Amino acid sequence: MKKIKSLILVMTVLLAFGLAACNSEEETFNAESNITVYTRDTTSGTRAGFMGGIGFDEAESSDSVLVEGFVIKDNTGIMTSMQTDEFGIGYVSLASLTNEIKGLSFNGVEPTVENVINNTYDLKRPFNWMVRAEGDYPSQAVEDIVEAFIAFLGTTDAADIINNEGAVALPASDTWDDIKAEYPITEQDNSGVTVRFGGSDSIQKVAEALSQAFSAKAGNFVADHDHTGSGDAYKRVVGDQKDESVGKDVGFASRPFKDTELEVGGVALPETQYGQLAWDAIVAIVHVGNPVSNVTADDLKKIYEGTYTIWSDLISE
Amino acid sequence: MQNLANIRKSKNGKQKVIDIVAKNFLFFLAILSSSFIFIVVGVIIVKGITPFISDNNGLGSVNFYKFITGNTWLTGEAFNSNLYSVGFIILSTLFIAFLSLLISFPIGVLTALFIAKIAPKKLAESLRTVTELLASIPSIIYGLFGAGLVLKFVYNLSALIGYQSKGGNSILASVIVLAIMTIPTITSISEVAIRSVDKEIIHGSLALGATPMQTNFKVVLAAAKSGIFTSAILGIGRVLGEATAVSLVAGGRRSGLSFNLLDTTSTLTTTMLEGMKETVGLDYDIRFSVGIILMIVILLTNLILNTIKKKVGHVHVK
Repeated sequence: MKKIKSLILVMTVLLAFGLAACNSEEETFNAESNITVYTRDTTSGTRAGFMGGIGFDEAESSDSVLVEGFVIKDNTGIMTSMQTDEFGIGYVSLASLTNEIKGLSFNGVEPTVENVINNTYDLKRPFNWMVRAEGDYPSQAVEDIVEAFIAFLGTTDAADIINNEGAVALPASDTWDDIKAEYPITEQDNSGVTVRFGGSDSIQKVAEALSQAFSAKAGNFVADHDHTGSGDAYKRVVGDQKDESVGKDVGFASRPFKDTELEVGGVALPETQYGQLAWDAIVAIVHVGNPVSNVTADDLKKIYEGTYTIWSDLISE
Repeated sequence: MQNLANIRKSKNGKQKVIDIVAKNFLFFLAILSSSFIFIVVGVIIVKGITPFISDNNGLGSVNFYKFITGNTWLTGEAFNSNLYSVGFIILSTLFIAFLSLLISFPIGVLTALFIAKIAPKKLAESLRTVTELLASIPSIIYGLFGAGLVLKFVYNLSALIGYQSKGGNSILASVIVLAIMTIPTITSISEVAIRSVDKEIIHGSLALGATPMQTNFKVVLAAAKSGIFTSAILGIGRVLGEATAVSLVAGGRRSGLSFNLLDTTSTLTTTMLEGMKETVGLDYDIRFSVGIILMIVILLTNLILNTIKKKVGHVHVK
């Protein structure tokens, strides 16, 4: 009797796990179900870009204005959640989009790299860079290399690399070969020079690809990457951590710089010390079984603030 | 030093000097290691008190009473507001800890009973090794397992009973992950306690006519009470301190206390962890304050459990 009981128990548990393992067989999408809203943390640059893009600026850094009962996840967490949750909606960077989730068109425009380049897709955020003040570098060689790197960012070579990594480069016209004569430091052997890159971890892939390509063109300097968040772009390059061991020479941020970050000690930073290198498109994502394929900014705002609570609110539009 | 010189000249002097030096050295090491506790606690307390007493760069100090009793983590914009509160998070943490102990304690103790008393020797050996291995797996692995399998399981389970859960992120998922994590801990410590029950007590019970099962439940478990209680204390300690694993399945609830098993939640540890790397100023310092609250909660829980353990009383074990 005991053995039969334990056998039944084991079978029930296995059955439950079997349910978990195989996908749901339902073909019809239940439009009366609640919309489960997924978002990033308030410190995320992607969130700031998304909320700004849909016209919901208040939600960029405040959780109180969002609909009640939202789920907070990190980048990979939102993607894996969309693969299981049929009634969820979230957002990721275009570069992270895969075939296992469904990216929604924004205002009728599909989320592809081409559409971001030709400026029809509007849901995007800037990738910015910031460098140290003149003369504040560990050595003149580092300063010259960084100056050359910033010039490199505006060339078509860099634009190709940025586009390859899934971000969208700003229009460029010169090639590196056109302008490299102005930066003689790149002709020297720089294998003993280390340039420190840091800041946003959303930009890490792009930054590493850029520094790797540029290093080959600029005497093989050593590119040291330590990406810890957009907040550290200012802090470690110009702010109060710049002279510590974690200080950086070039910092990246995946959001516009705040007013407090555009000045140090009350003095505004010169315009040559910061700039934009690319756009990053953000895509609203849902489960592949979701019939919705297009949203407007207004729809997304209504979903995230709680005006639309069930899927039929949106689908009947 | 004069005394040392005198001792050295006496009979067996050299040995005695080495003795004294060694004792003092061990004393010094003990002071050094225990001072780390004070240093760590001291830093956390100092950094955690600052949001309550300083002006936080113009945002105003955080009201301590509202901090303890509020229902919303942050009202207003981040970096622009000082209205933090962890009241509902404290209750959620205790609720989750209690539930996961409710699941893992019986399973752990009964497994320990099986390994120590009922299993044949070879099976007991292998089960013991498996348990010790499981107890030493890092918690992030359990977190990844939770995010991969437990979330799907809870999502499908809730769909079965007709309630739409939020992708599986819920109190239930956190409790399952935490229970799986603490069962090995409780099992291995309880097993040691059960094994060291005096054979005479068991023989006496059997001699009086009790069946082996009756002996196991009424005599052995009662005799090993003290050790089993210790395992519960350690289990709760692990549950209250778990950050990464829970943050992957909890859902990050930011307001509103809810005891609904299929609702999202957050604990003191996940609140400290989420967004930590990208944040500055008051938002960063307030996490130390949450740390102080966490330490107080753990301290109180340990005190209560230890008092209960003393009241429950000892049975003389070998």
